[in-house]
Amino acid sequence: MSVKILSSLLALVLLAFIVELVRREKLTFKYAAGWLLVSCGGLLLSFFDGILFSLSRFLGFELLSNFIFFAMIGVFVFLSLLLTIMLCQQNIRNDRMAQKIGLLENRLEKIERGQGRKE
Amino acid sequence: MKRILAIVPAFNEGGNIKRTLEEIKGAPFLMDVVVVDDGSSDDTRREALASEASVVSLPFNLGIGAAVQTGLLYAQHYSYDAAVRVDGDGQHDIHYLEDLLRPVLNLEADLVIGSRFISPFLGYRSSLIRRVGIHFFANLISGIIHSRITDPTSGFQAFSRRAIKVFAQSYPYDFPEPESIVVAQRLGLRVREVPVQMRKRLAGRTSIRYLVTFYYMVKVTFAILIDMMKKNKGGDSSER
Repeated sequence: MSVKILSSLLALVLLAFIVELVRREKLTFKYAAGWLLVSCGGLLLSFFDGILFSLSRFLGFELLSNFIFFAMIGVFVFLSLLLTIMLCQQNIRNDRMAQKIGLLENRLEKIERGQGRKE
Repeated sequence: MKRILAIVPAFNEGGNIKRTLEEIKGAPFLMDVVVVDDGSSDDTRREALASEASVVSLPFNLGIGAAVQTGLLYAQHYSYDAAVRVDGDGQHDIHYLEDLLRPVLNLEADLVIGSRFISPFLGYRSSLIRRVGIHFFANLISGIIHSRITDPTSGFQAFSRRAIKVFAQSYPYDFPEPESIVVAQRLGLRVREVPVQMRKRLAGRTSIRYLVTFYYMVKVTFAILIDMMKKNKGGDSSER
């Protein structure tokens, strides 16, 4: 019974923390949405743990804990891949922007030099 | 009169850049020069400006692929007819610029690679491990594009107007040279090699050290194989 309380508490804290982060604009809703879903799901599963038991038995896990670990690892692998994709995208944009800045600076210098000659 | 741009990527080449630029100026035909200062922390930019080159300074180090691409973006913006990459470290011998550019200016090729290994063999000494790597890529790429490439790691390259357009849009990262040949073939650019000679670096040290040679080979092999899976064979990726 105490496990049930502990896990729902954890999910609740996570939910409150995410809501607070969005409120303080440390997290945009676009990225918070997934986390909100996760914390709500966690809360739900803590209350109705029967779903977990039957699902794990259905999938053929001997122990519920094994199922939970498996599911969590799966989620984290997927999540880190997602983060790598975002990182990569940011990297490409960053490089593009740096190139553009360099080229614009070069053109600006040309223009300024041209004006200097006239004066 | 065709307008030609020499793209000189330079990362901390303060000791070499001046001589390289002077050599380019002494070339038997007229060329504009753009130095792409790839976030150097030394006086590369100042030295280049002192030699009256146009300098594009990147705010931080992006690596050779992105630096060359910056030069190609410059070439595209000022609509040059041809561009040639001459590394700031003085490794590329200016005497071969004419040979390199001729196929591009005669509209016979889009990407011309200066090869150290075409006969007449002009003699190039390199470490065993590097020769093994070059040989490996030469065979891999030759097999893929169905035409003989002898020096896929050569950065001494000339670009036609079409190649400028294609590669300004996307040029491979990290170790771009072998990949660029496969990309060129995929996008329907005509690739050709001409014999050149290269020199030992004047000062500083090469960016490819022994420890990264293995990573280099694995990365480039993967990149080439994955590139083969991409679509638009013979199409023009820059048309969007």
